[in-house]
Amino acid sequence: MIWKLSLTGIKSRLKDYLVLFSGLVVASMIFYMFLTLAINPAFLKSNSGILQDNLITFIFGFGIALLMIITVVYLVYANSFLLSMRKHDYGMFLTLGAKSSRIGLLIFCETLITGLMATVLGIILGFGLTALVGHLLISRLGLVIAHFQVILPSAILGTLAFFIVVFFLGALRNVYKLTRTKVIDLLHEDQEPVKFKQRPVLHSIEAVLGLVLLAAGYWIMQRRGLDPFNVIPIALVTIVAGSYFVFNSLFTAIIGYLINHRKFSYCGIRMFTLGQLKFRLHDYTKILTVISLLFALALGAITVGLNFNSEKEMTKSSIYYDATIISKSPAVQKELAKVSIKSKQTYHYKETKHGLYFKRAEFKNQPIKAIKTKGQGDSLTWSEKTLPTSQLDCAGTETNNEFGNLLPNGIEKKIYLVSASALAKVKGQQKFISLIRVNDFDKDFPALLKLEQLQNKETPAFHTVYTGSKPYSYQGILGIISGFEFMGFFLGLAFLTMLASTLMFKVLSSAANDKLRYQMLFKVGTRRQALKRSVAEEIGMLFLMPGILGIIDVLFGLQLFRTILVRPYAGIWLPFTIFIVLYFFYYVLTVHLYEKIVLAKN
Amino acid sequence: MTEILRVDQATKTYGKRGEKQYQALKGVNFGVDAGEFVAIMGASGSGKTTLLNILSTLDKPTTGHVFINHEDISTLNANQMADFRSKQIGFIFQDFNLLENLTNRENIALPLTLQGVPARKIDPLVDRITERLGIKEILAKYPAELSGGQKQRVASARALVHEPAILLADEPTGALDSTSARELLDTMADLNQKDGVTTLMVTHDPFSASFANRILFIKDGKIGEQLLKKDQSRQDFYHLLIEHLGTEE
Repeated sequence: MIWKLSLTGIKSRLKDYLVLFSGLVVASMIFYMFLTLAINPAFLKSNSGILQDNLITFIFGFGIALLMIITVVYLVYANSFLLSMRKHDYGMFLTLGAKSSRIGLLIFCETLITGLMATVLGIILGFGLTALVGHLLISRLGLVIAHFQVILPSAILGTLAFFIVVFFLGALRNVYKLTRTKVIDLLHEDQEPVKFKQRPVLHSIEAVLGLVLLAAGYWIMQRRGLDPFNVIPIALVTIVAGSYFVFNSLFTAIIGYLINHRKFSYCGIRMFTLGQLKFRLHDYTKILTVISLLFALALGAITVGLNFNSEKEMTKSSIYYDATIISKSPAVQKELAKVSIKSKQTYHYKETKHGLYFKRAEFKNQPIKAIKTKGQGDSLTWSEKTLPTSQLDCAGTETNNEFGNLLPNGIEKKIYLVSASALAKVKGQQKFISLIRVNDFDKDFPALLKLEQLQNKETPAFHTVYTGSKPYSYQGILGIISGFEFMGFFLGLAFLTMLASTLMFKVLSSAANDKLRYQMLFKVGTRRQALKRSVAEEIGMLFLMPGILGIIDVLFGLQLFRTILVRPYAGIWLPFTIFIVLYFFYYVLTVHLYEKIVLAKN
Repeated sequence: MTEILRVDQATKTYGKRGEKQYQALKGVNFGVDAGEFVAIMGASGSGKTTLLNILSTLDKPTTGHVFINHEDISTLNANQMADFRSKQIGFIFQDFNLLENLTNRENIALPLTLQGVPARKIDPLVDRITERLGIKEILAKYPAELSGGQKQRVASARALVHEPAILLADEPTGALDSTSARELLDTMADLNQKDGVTTLMVTHDPFSASFANRILFIKDGKIGEQLLKKDQSRQDFYHLLIEHLGTEE
């Protein structure tokens, strides 16, 4: 009978359940995708050729660790939302004479079954997501993978195990919480008065301390010359503590000031909105701190991930020639025919045991060009430069070195620029080298890489040229970038989804209690639109505060990436826009669901 | 005497056409003059709450009309009804309905802020009514810090601060101990006599009802008899009421 009642209870709150359920499904779906990508054998095998030390596995492994943390936080709040929905029903069952051990079992099973169903569905949907993301990632990395496994038993087991453990613990927590609560409190929790102590002196100290700690964290992150591994723990501690104090005191103080500023607060139901916020902040300090940090981590992940893209452009811009041709073999010629050549500089030379002899006249009309870099960080610019022909054969000069890097054996042997008649007298092997540039590097990249690889196989001496070539460098950076880009993107999205859902569930958990207040306001003559505006403003502030703090965290936090990213702030608008749009979507969804509960017509 | 409230052939039917319908009010007629203290008594299911919901513009009658201050509230739309409530009606509820997240001063100021009264005029108005009700020293506190009796006084101040046309009280002593209940009823009677606050109280408690000048009895959705206090003392009126209730069929 109790089971039947329980099912009826769930049915009556099906919509709220669906919100909770879909959040859990998304969490397990993303978790499965990450796990599959990180431990997929086919993927790892193909990747090892490109990236040493399985960098991509490391990247995804790191992602999984972060994802586990946020998933646990998310599930804790989802779980408390589940509990808040069922509390009243459980209280009623107990009043009707059900044994508390039986109710305990009921709660335990409900939590576990809900979790298990969501996980299984999430994994099934995760197959699709993994296939899609895996496909994108593979094509991005230029890999040919024969057996990329979308359905990976070890990932399925891993995801199931993780979620079952978390839900198991969550179910135990729910049982503990409910069996420790008195029946009367279960039934009338919403009528419990909220107690709020005002401690102005303590709060003022906290507010100042919060700002000082935040400032210290930001300051240390943008200090140059410090080891990031030393900076991160310090910044983490100061920013976490600073955010907590700011939410606990500063924002409360600001709201308190606004309330006391009667011209502002005595306007419609603004006083009520501010009062709601003041009380909520007291209750929300911890969650808002967590959310602002997760927001920063998520936005940071997306920004850094997408920012690696600019490294790609940098690699392309930092090398002048797109490819070097030294072979006339049919295979090389076949590949060469595929590229659309913009310019081609060909030089003939003779190679002896100790030197490379070039015809000086050939450099007159087609001097060697290179890239000159200027500035640092955001102000870094690249420009073309012409290597002075007179210095090409001056050993020890930078020009000579740059030229030598373009030639097979160019570093090991001395370079001579001689007249045509002098060259004719040199006894050595007649050779040529063509330095080419193409119209569209991205388009011709596969053929150019093949060209370099073929010649590397044909001529051992070409190896140094090959490893310094644009296609080779580009290939390397592409592997790292795609890993970071995808990880940053999906991890960021996963984080955002979960942090926004966490906040959403926290807000919705208290909706039942808030309902009475809105009903009261309605009774004393508040228009429905005014109530709606109050809801939108109040929830808006709850979303905005951690959002803004998170954005500030990211802006300072990006300074930490100066060592690996040349321009940490380049193209920052894109991730910020994506993030803000998605975050806003969650805000609108929360307002909509909250309104449905608190402003229900009855 | 000016009539503040007039209910004219009001009926209320629940349930859609074609479905099983239930008529909670079956043609209610009565009026309340300015400065009157009227109690409406009835058992559970008599239609008390339905009538109160209609009088407080939270609901509309199915047929008939309700006039407050000569305005037909049965023709107002949702926004007009909200505005009307905030201006013309003061409420005292059984469970106080104070907002716990606002101080008592802010709770009392709410009807004024809703009406858009300029901020500088609000605090003096709050001070005036709270002085009248003897609760000035608890204004900075939150409702959770008050006793039941104090809470209901704060609720009364909130109901009266904007000088409504009529004060509607729904079982105002239902959640109070006997001393607080007595104090509140004394205050209500005093406000009615000295300040001329028109009051309509819905109750099933004869003791509370004995503080009114006139008692209307509602039964099965209809207003039946009425008892008038006239020149009797409250005690005599109470005994008359008990007697009446005892002989009622």
